[in-house]
Amino acid sequence: MKKYWKFAAIIIVIVLSIGTFYVNSATSAKQYPEFVIQTHSGDADEIKPLVLEGSYTDTTSMNYVSTNLKITADGSTYNSRSFLDQVIGQPPTVVKELQEEYRTFMRGKDHLVDLFFENNQVLAYADVNYKMGSLRSRDFKFDISVLNKEDGNINSFTMEVPDGGELEYVFVEDVQMVKDELTLITQNTMRNNDEFYDEKHIYTINMANQKISNHKAINQVPEGQDDTRIDVQLIRTSPTKANEHLIIVKTEKKVIEDSESIREEVINQEIISYNLETKEKEKINVPELRLDENQLSFFDGSTIYFMTLEGQELVVTPYSLVDDQVGQAFSIHLFGEEDIVHGQLTIVKDGKLYLASSQMNSNINADVIVADVKTGEILFKGQLALEDSSNEHGNFELYMHEMFVN
Amino acid sequence: MKNYLKLVNFELNRITKLFAVLLGITFVTQIVGVIVVSRDYLNMANEKLYEEMMSKAVFLESFGQMSFLQIVKSVWFVGPIALCIAGVAFYIFIIWYRDWVGKNTFIYRLLMLPTTRLNIFYAKITNILIMTFGLVAFQLIILPIEMLVMKGMVPNEFRTDMSVKEIVNSMPELTIIIPNSVIELILYYGAGLLVVSILFTAILMERSFRWKGIFAGLIYSALAVVVLISPLLLQEFVLNGFFYPIELLVLEIVMGLIVLAASIWMSGFLLMKKITV
Amino acid sequence: MIEVKAVEKKFGRKKILKGVSFTANKGEITCLIGINGVGKTTILNAIMALTPINKGQILIDGKQIDKNTFEKITFIPDAITMLPHMTIAEAMEFMNDFYTCWNQKRATELLGFFRLNPSDRIASLSKGNTAKVNLLLGLALDVDYVLMDEPFSGIDMFSREEIANVFTSHLIENRGVIITTHEIGDIEHLIDKVVLLDDGMVTKEFSAEEVRENEGKSVIDVMREVYQR
Repeated sequence: MKKYWKFAAIIIVIVLSIGTFYVNSATSAKQYPEFVIQTHSGDADEIKPLVLEGSYTDTTSMNYVSTNLKITADGSTYNSRSFLDQVIGQPPTVVKELQEEYRTFMRGKDHLVDLFFENNQVLAYADVNYKMGSLRSRDFKFDISVLNKEDGNINSFTMEVPDGGELEYVFVEDVQMVKDELTLITQNTMRNNDEFYDEKHIYTINMANQKISNHKAINQVPEGQDDTRIDVQLIRTSPTKANEHLIIVKTEKKVIEDSESIREEVINQEIISYNLETKEKEKINVPELRLDENQLSFFDGSTIYFMTLEGQELVVTPYSLVDDQVGQAFSIHLFGEEDIVHGQLTIVKDGKLYLASSQMNSNINADVIVADVKTGEILFKGQLALEDSSNEHGNFELYMHEMFVN
Repeated sequence: MKNYLKLVNFELNRITKLFAVLLGITFVTQIVGVIVVSRDYLNMANEKLYEEMMSKAVFLESFGQMSFLQIVKSVWFVGPIALCIAGVAFYIFIIWYRDWVGKNTFIYRLLMLPTTRLNIFYAKITNILIMTFGLVAFQLIILPIEMLVMKGMVPNEFRTDMSVKEIVNSMPELTIIIPNSVIELILYYGAGLLVVSILFTAILMERSFRWKGIFAGLIYSALAVVVLISPLLLQEFVLNGFFYPIELLVLEIVMGLIVLAASIWMSGFLLMKKITV
Repeated sequence: MIEVKAVEKKFGRKKILKGVSFTANKGEITCLIGINGVGKTTILNAIMALTPINKGQILIDGKQIDKNTFEKITFIPDAITMLPHMTIAEAMEFMNDFYTCWNQKRATELLGFFRLNPSDRIASLSKGNTAKVNLLLGLALDVDYVLMDEPFSGIDMFSREEIANVFTSHLIENRGVIITTHEIGDIEHLIDKVVLLDDGMVTKEFSAEEVRENEGKSVIDVMREVYQR
């Protein structure tokens, strides 16, 4: 046995040293601060279905590693950064749930919520693939899959994007399906000679014969008008919810150049409702409504809630598509800080408006508000806070980037 | 099994000297590094505080506190690690070829031992593994010692203290050697073991067929790499991301085990039927 | 019995062995004789599976070689098979560790017989003493067959005599020995069987005793006949 002492000693040292390191690092796992939603006024039950997703960064230490977390009425839960979790990846909750339910269909699908459409009959997915060439992108192809939930059949095919030669970049913003027609709303970057320009495009694909039945650009800059710019925005909806209409805000701006600066002036703003089934466009007229680029409007399928920030006030103007009527506008007071209101997340669900600030640190407070969208009555008002505020937590940054209402 | 352990022990005794030298160089160089880097920082602080009459607060604001990371990022710390890695890489070849060279041809003895010849392969690969883990373990032991030296040299208010884990986490190069979790440790070093087994097979091919064996070894290595990455290639170019990441991980582990088994089988075959003294 | 059957061996394109066949019996000393480069060492290596053969078959007591065979047969090459930094005692310890057939009593006996100091390092030994240690490590194994490759080459006269004495001692009794040599003088009278090799083939296989008794010739006489034709 004596001649094995070196062998035994080396093995013991290895096991003890490496073992101690991993046992230590497991037991002294970093403690993250617990975040809660503090109630200031209203009914705390209102925030029960609310889930905020974001990331937490400790800025006191030298390494700026952020950790994803979820905050609900019950407090905060941090995503483990274990190796296996990193391998599995952390797709958005919606995609994760779809993956669990439709594992086969979800194979090879991107993790972007906007690429999916779901109703009681189908789950649809549409994306655009292309090859990055050395000079320009080419071979633009739609990648389409539709799952029939009843019989489990998957209709999956690819097809060329029309006029692909002019395209430089395509980004799918929304997918909708009405009857047997799949509609894609895309943001296309086009290249004409050496000039680049953007346009919003609608493609309608007939699922029965797998052909594009219709496609057109929503905005087109009239020729010869270099000083005008047209912005097109899609009003947000619940990511996977089926809608019969698309609500588009089209803003025409004039670029004014004077000796000191270049600025833009809105010369015309149109709000258009596009009926996916009839392909009819309809203008929506809301007097005195001016939506800027930071508008937070939301469309829940029947009512559009135009939302803009005016100072520390969030002004909400409902518009019902059913009876084409502007409803009673109301405003919600945000805490903000020294008149600076940081980014906000908004969602309308079941007649309630949920609002949360997207940033928090030791100087900036984050609001969480629930309001009745019909009356404007505040049902809940609170703030994100550290559960144990007496403890020294040093500097941190909390960014919320997604909000869900279950 | 008993003969395997005896061979492991025997092989281990053959490298203890080289191993001790590597450990010694690492320890001395890193300690010198701690002293040099700490002193540089202190000299700079003295200069600013006493010659340029900078206040302590201003100094700390503009130059920051000293952390062990500065030492870890210096060549004093990384250099010996690189030397150890080179040493192990070199030893993967030496561990076989030294048995053939000189007039004391120990390979006769090894091949004539009344035990399966694969035990020679196992013993040698175990030694590479022990040597590697030994170096990692040693680094983990001397890190706290080095931190103590720095603590002794740099006063409290000029210093931010970090734990061993924080230091390892802040250096991506170090997390390869000292991974974050036990699972990663097993996967990383399992992959390392796989690479060594492929190299051993290639070496044995050379030892069996000499010049032709070099080509055979290269072809075998290339083939092993292709088999190993075939799931990734399929996923990327043929299946368009068909597999979920966790499935891909499992597939890769299976592929790794297949290649490992093939290397062991091939090495056994060569040692039994094709090897030449 | 060791049976070598139609063994062929190529080095590159050159055929070294072109179908060599012979047998060696237990209790006999079989001597492989041939000029240098004829492939004597290659045959011994092949018997021990230290080099692959291209064709043919080698059987030891009717079986192909496997790990257990190494407890029955040992090979003493012309160079020592231990590491230079080891002492003789350590080398013996190594053998004792791995071989169940190691006979410690006989090893000690051999140490005395060769007048070797067990604490000497192998690297520091003279050529003659190195050969003796080599012999010791092989002969202290209780095996049925011993293969020896040129045990006398490059060794001083006195060591040669000592080694030759081994062949008349009980150390060799009842074993089958295959020995290669081109200096047959030292042991000519001890050889039972001679296998003459030339150009990769066995030119003559004969019993030394028969030749002596029936034809009145010595082994060297027969060698002269064959090689100087």
